[in-house]
Amino acid sequence: MTALPEWLRPGARPSGGVSPRPAAHRLLRRTLGAMGRSLALLVREDDGPNAGALRAADPRAKLLAAVGLIVVATFLRGMLPLAVCLGLTLALSVAARVPGRRLLPVLIAVPLASAALMLPATLNVVSGGSPLLVLWRTAGGALGPWRLPEIVAITGDGLLVAGRMVLRTTACAALALLLAATTRPQQLLGGLRSLGVPQAFVMVLAMAERYLAVLLRSAQELHLARLARSVAAIGVRREEAWAAAGVGAVFRRTRALADEVTLAMVSRGFTGEVRLLRPARWQRKDWLLMAVAAAVGAALLILDRRLA
Amino acid sequence: MSGPSGETVFAVEGVRFAYPGQPPCLDGVSFEVRGGERLALVGANGSGKSTLLHLLDGLYFPGEGRVAYLGRPLTEDALEETPFGPRFRQEVGFLFQSSDAQLFCPMVEDELAFGPLQMGWTQDEVLRRIEDTLALLEISRLRGRSPAGLSAGEKKRVALASLLVLSPSVLLLDEPTAGLDPRSQSLLLEILEALHARGLTLVTATHDLTLLPHLADRVIVLSEEHRLVADGAPERVLADTDLLLAVNLIHAHSHRHGRLVHSHPHQHVVAHEHVHDHGHTHED
Ligand SMILES: Nc1ncnc2c1ncn2[C@@H]1O[C@H](COP(=O)(O)OP(=O)(O)OP(=O)(O)O)[C@@H](O)[C@H]1O
Ligand SMILES: [Mg+2]
Repeated sequence: MTALPEWLRPGARPSGGVSPRPAAHRLLRRTLGAMGRSLALLVREDDGPNAGALRAADPRAKLLAAVGLIVVATFLRGMLPLAVCLGLTLALSVAARVPGRRLLPVLIAVPLASAALMLPATLNVVSGGSPLLVLWRTAGGALGPWRLPEIVAITGDGLLVAGRMVLRTTACAALALLLAATTRPQQLLGGLRSLGVPQAFVMVLAMAERYLAVLLRSAQELHLARLARSVAAIGVRREEAWAAAGVGAVFRRTRALADEVTLAMVSRGFTGEVRLLRPARWQRKDWLLMAVAAAVGAALLILDRRLA
Repeated sequence: MSGPSGETVFAVEGVRFAYPGQPPCLDGVSFEVRGGERLALVGANGSGKSTLLHLLDGLYFPGEGRVAYLGRPLTEDALEETPFGPRFRQEVGFLFQSSDAQLFCPMVEDELAFGPLQMGWTQDEVLRRIEDTLALLEISRLRGRSPAGLSAGEKKRVALASLLVLSPSVLLLDEPTAGLDPRSQSLLLEILEALHARGLTLVTATHDLTLLPHLADRVIVLSEEHRLVADGAPERVLADTDLLLAVNLIHAHSHRHGRLVHSHPHQHVVAHEHVHDHGHTHED
């Protein structure tokens, strides 16, 4: 008969050892869970019950319209046209039932990040212009060949530059999200391909998308496996180390699994071409979508020139 | 392309294979697979069964020796040629040991469509085949689900469906019954039986000795030294206790009858019978 180790019996516990601190590591566990959930949201592919007209449109039409409007947005200089562009995109997102939990992160994170990046540009030291709000008076003087400024202040011009940039990046991000939220990744890739983007490029994107999905899955599985094995709560610091080691394990496993996935694709005759079941057909409403996007783009550009 | 039954489908000659930086995990393996045959590949964990199936499917290539399909050597170049490459992919289906690796599409339906669409078949044909295959495997209700969210047994069925939809003439099956409940297991065996009757060639890697007689007409055994050590009918191989002990597929097993413990070679086989005549070595 197999001789089980002496300690392998119900209720057997070694004496001594560190007593567990149950509440301490809950934060990390929650953070990991939340990260997993938001990642899952990014790569989700459900169309939901209310698919909407925008979802049904040909991916090529959506791609062209979105890319076109993003290009237009980068050329707009006035605050008003930029605000109109952002407003229209948001209105369309709401109409297309893009879930708030996807929209909100973009609306909060993108402006905050770009505002942080643009912060120096609002100062007179960087972009010049007349001071609006003096932050700090220096003694002046000179440092070697450089004259030090007498004041550090936020300028009106600087604010305008920063505001424009924040609005512009947010509008572009919202447009990209609208496209991503109403088009399945596979369709998007198929659309890119049939618009003449080279096969090699689309294949790299396709594999990146697959690997991301695999990465997500192994991260979640590994996390669950760890939770299942964590017999007693351990300290935050050790759990952090654990999580760091986990990242390595996730990547190793992801590579192994992703390699297998590639083999499985090859085994079923993968030729590098994206081929879809029930591919979208270009219909009259797709022309309409293009026309509307072109008209909106033109109107924004004209408005912008008028105001300048 | 696949010819009449009895023809050599796969010819494996003196194959040696090692993963980069590792000792060989197949060492001088030679055998043939004939059309319409049901061949089982048995061996302990790590003996190289999965690796051998990868070689048969033209996913890995041997360092030494060669693998041929219907007389044509399976090389990277040959598989990139048309029509050989695509025909080989259509005719030979490989059920991976890990369904997670095999299922990579957003929906079950896309999973089944993947192979046929790569072959360039028409939408109507693809849709019709999907319908039929889902019904055959009793998974029509999973059609719109994401494969990632399925149970292990459901995943296995979807993976098998994604192969059958291509109407293959050869199936390479890596542990097909692992993780299946008895009902799913017998459905799978029934389907394999029917496919066999249709003339498909089935190569199954397994260490489930119980199912061996149901899965195969011929068994080849890989040793832990990664060599081929036996080739014969299932009954003969299963009866060879010394061989099975030597390749670690079964183990000397002791159990208790009343106060007595006795040892004898043990295997979990359907026809598991031993006489408790207490004539063996007795311990307390
Ligand atoms: N991708 C890989 N890289 C390196 N070594 C590998 C790889 N896959 C398998 N091996 C090694 O090759 C040997 C044979 O592995 P293989 O998976 O073929 O065995 P197996 O007979 O299928 O085992 P099991 O019954 O557990 O599935 C093992 O020693 C294994 O560690
Ligand atoms: Mg294996």
